[in-house]
Amino acid sequence: MDENEMLAKMAEEGIHAGFPSPAQDYMTGVIDLNRELVRHPDATFYGRVVGDSMSEAGIAEGDVLIIDKALEPHEGDMCVCFVDGEFCLKYISFKDPSGGGEQGLWLLAGNRKYKPIRIVEYNDFTVWGVVTYIIKKQK
Amino acid sequence: MYALVDCNNFFVSCERAFQPWLEKRPVVVLSNNDGCVVARSNESKPLVPMGTPFFKLKGLVDSGKIEVRSSNYTLYGDLSRRVMNILASTGLPLEKYSIDEAYLDLEGLPAEQQRPFCLALVRKIRKWTGIPVSIGIAPTKTLGKVANHFAKRYPGYKGVCVIDSDEKREKALSLTTIDDVWGIGWRSAPKLMSLGVHTALDFVQRPESWVQKHMGIVGVRTWRELQGERAVAEDRDERRQSICTSRSFAELVQDSAELSLRVSDFAGICAEKLRHDRSRCRSVGVFIHTSRFRKDLPQYYPFVQVRLDTPSNDTETIVGAALKAFRRAYKPGYLYKRAGVTVDDITASDYLEASLFETPSEALRREKNDTVSALMDHFNSAHNNLLRLASQRSGHYAEGIRREHCSPLFSTEWSDILEIK
Repeated sequence: MDENEMLAKMAEEGIHAGFPSPAQDYMTGVIDLNRELVRHPDATFYGRVVGDSMSEAGIAEGDVLIIDKALEPHEGDMCVCFVDGEFCLKYISFKDPSGGGEQGLWLLAGNRKYKPIRIVEYNDFTVWGVVTYIIKKQK
Repeated sequence: MYALVDCNNFFVSCERAFQPWLEKRPVVVLSNNDGCVVARSNESKPLVPMGTPFFKLKGLVDSGKIEVRSSNYTLYGDLSRRVMNILASTGLPLEKYSIDEAYLDLEGLPAEQQRPFCLALVRKIRKWTGIPVSIGIAPTKTLGKVANHFAKRYPGYKGVCVIDSDEKREKALSLTTIDDVWGIGWRSAPKLMSLGVHTALDFVQRPESWVQKHMGIVGVRTWRELQGERAVAEDRDERRQSICTSRSFAELVQDSAELSLRVSDFAGICAEKLRHDRSRCRSVGVFIHTSRFRKDLPQYYPFVQVRLDTPSNDTETIVGAALKAFRRAYKPGYLYKRAGVTVDDITASDYLEASLFETPSEALRREKNDTVSALMDHFNSAHNNLLRLASQRSGHYAEGIRREHCSPLFSTEWSDILEIK
């Protein structure tokens, strides 16, 4: 601890003549959500959900997504995909959802209303980023 | 070896990072105030020359042949910061050269690892930020530029081109026209061509004494760099001789109070640029122009300069001098379309000679102003330029600037984040 920090700390706690507070050793500052929820700050962006494509997964319009572009998408990951001109929120799957055992890539919604999309060559498609957290406004 | 990392068509790439539907389409980005084209995608390069005024593109834009965006420097600045952070995280010495270019010093890496390392870096930056970059690896910075040019031009390089032998160097120089060489100014290139020097190879084949005679020490430095000998210093003296901040207004302005606010904004920007360059100026000039295209209106183009007692770069002094010049320049009864502030007679701030006539109280005031300015720079760099002196307009000056095709602030503004269906 340098002199300035020491002075700042003394100013905060006052100067005790007796024993130092036993809690002092445990002071670590505040919880920083950026540090807890964002693993790759330089690759992290945010998105806002519109529509109901993930309603059965508990995600509603207005929820905020933390999107990490550094991660590789894996089976079952929720991803922000860019398909044929628009951004959409989908689960990535390499397994044929009809159980037919076909090879390929499918995008699954979290709402039975929307059928799985099989990605084929002529789709303009990229996985834009992997969703790591969902922030819901409760109040 | 140096690696010159350069973002491909940076402004356009920033737009595409959040608007993937712009990929493979002709896209242009306009200057401040939607004046003219300052960045182009590869697809728009054959259609639109650099600097084309926006009004000439209306046809192409309206028919959907070309996509246009106003410049969104907040967005570009954020993506630049991310790219630079990724470069810095390599742990190699990094020298940022501009918003979209930086040099990495590869000395710490074995030769055979340099290209694979840079290929991985190109992929990482693309994946993490969406920004495509190219890397030129070479023994000098000037050759790094040449290598980078090839990395961009030929997809076969996969974004990384290495000049690591005399054979490759000579081949590359023979394919580089002299006006494409970094450090050869637009004035020197035609002169060299008239003397029979058309490619960079022609140039390096001339003797050093010839280069010295025709181009002086700056030319010799470039000549040495192209030979593979380091001659450009680590931290080039990039101080400008003169700085100008000016804008055309979206509308015609008559009011003196309104104009003086804008002039004080421009003066504040000049002062920031001076401090960024670590220099001071001795002269502050102001011009205000009526519209040349409105021949039906009276025309007036005054330019007034004010001399400072001591070289300065603090906002209060520069703004004060600019307002003094403005009051002398302004005449009522005219409609003004453009205004600007210039600062000249620039010296390095480290070599400040106190004015002979400076009293102790003036010296104290100058020191106080320097401190205020440093705090303003610190705060403004973190808070989007919100801090201004009371004589300057409060908040953003952007309302006077036309930005009709501006993208949202996707990555820096909570209300502007991407919408996902």
